[in-house]
Amino acid sequence: MKIDLQFIWTALIELLSVVPTTLAITAVSMLCGLAIGIVVALIRRYRVPVLNSVAASYVTFIRGTPMLTHLLIIYFGLPVIIDSLAVQFGWSFRSVSIPMIGFAYISFSITAGAYLSEVVRSGLQAVEKGQLEAAYSIGMTTRQAMGRIVFPQAFAIILPSLSNSTISMLHGSTLVFTVSVVDINAKSQIIASSNWKFFEAYIAAAIIYWGITILIERLSALLEKRINIYNRGGVT
Amino acid sequence: MIKLTQIKKSYGRHQVLKGIDLSVEQGEVVAILGPSGSGKTTLLRCMNYLERPSEGEITIDGFTVNCKRPSKSDIHALRKKSAMVFQQYNLFRHKTALENVMEGLVIVQKVPKEQARKQSIELLEKVGLGNKLDSYPSQLSGGQQQRVGIARALALNPKVILFDEPTSSLDPELVGEVLAVIRKIAKEGITMIIVTHEMGFAQEVAGHVIFIDDGTIVESGTPDELFNSPKEERTKQFLKRFTPDGTYSI
Repeated sequence: MKIDLQFIWTALIELLSVVPTTLAITAVSMLCGLAIGIVVALIRRYRVPVLNSVAASYVTFIRGTPMLTHLLIIYFGLPVIIDSLAVQFGWSFRSVSIPMIGFAYISFSITAGAYLSEVVRSGLQAVEKGQLEAAYSIGMTTRQAMGRIVFPQAFAIILPSLSNSTISMLHGSTLVFTVSVVDINAKSQIIASSNWKFFEAYIAAAIIYWGITILIERLSALLEKRINIYNRGGVT
Repeated sequence: MIKLTQIKKSYGRHQVLKGIDLSVEQGEVVAILGPSGSGKTTLLRCMNYLERPSEGEITIDGFTVNCKRPSKSDIHALRKKSAMVFQQYNLFRHKTALENVMEGLVIVQKVPKEQARKQSIELLEKVGLGNKLDSYPSQLSGGQQQRVGIARALALNPKVILFDEPTSSLDPELVGEVLAVIRKIAKEGITMIIVTHEMGFAQEVAGHVIFIDDGTIVESGTPDELFNSPKEERTKQFLKRFTPDGTYSI
């Protein structure tokens, strides 16, 4: 078997055009997922009546089913719901005007939210109880105490997990080919099948994914170093 | 100034506080003594609602909270009357010494940042840490951390400062510097309630001493009364273990 190194390069260049798609799916899903995760973690921490059990079911159901299944359920289910609602309330909006990538955003955010809620919960638990008590003792409200004292410390603690989740999401985002969104992986397939050079095209995709992953790792390490400056210890 | 009426607290079936009545005058320094598990720390933590009393009434500086069903705003208002110095210091780990002291001023009392900064620097100088403004808690010794904790409490200019065993987790050689700071502010006429195991210190600094055992006040009085002529058998037993100079005899 012969490897066409030149073609790997060609494929690489061509794949660059869809890097923003992959990045957008990863970033949007992680950010929305983190927002969902924070809300869910708070609901569970404060045991908000009713919502607490809803949140618990959400987490166990989503973590108990594959990400691909979420995507397919959203892709086939959401339009039906939206269109029937639209008919009922006389909206002019129809599900066909939702771009395909929209389904990926929604479904992956839901997926990430469940996993990240557990990450956030572990972070909140890891902050010493005394920190919250000290905040209360100087007269802070719960909102101020959480926002200024507990969350910043929890965030520093969960940063490595967040970077892990981001990388998982980057790689998981390849599933979007099932709803005909062209990301790096889908594009490499297209390039491959039109040239019959599957191996080379997939190698090119792998290189790009690896590159992005290294970038995320570096960024996270940098952020970690910066944010954890207060933990360095050593009496000055 | 401070008035506690029939404060009760239970964890499940176990009653930790069995109806404590206490009143403290403006400017008074009160020391609470008692064996481990007697409820003295719980009582102190009830005063700023870090523990929820099951029953009773708390009044600080004219503001009364009925512990049966306090509202969130009641609790918040009550907490603003006091400040606390913790056994484990509990400095905000992600903030420098200066930021720790400024936090309450800027966020809770809405003092302009520049003014808060000036005030905080003065306070840190007062506790002898003018050269540690930008150090994080992890870079300070226990004694230094506790002195920042005291400055943080002082900054709020509270009606009362609650000290929860402020020297219990310090190395013996660091206890002195913290006690010196507390002694200094006691002289300024700030109302203080101190839970402590430092008998000698309590005797020296407090105007009033309370001995608690098994969730009730066994005896209270001036340091002289309590240390030199205790009336109750339980108090005598407890004090026997301490020699007059504050060291232990085993």
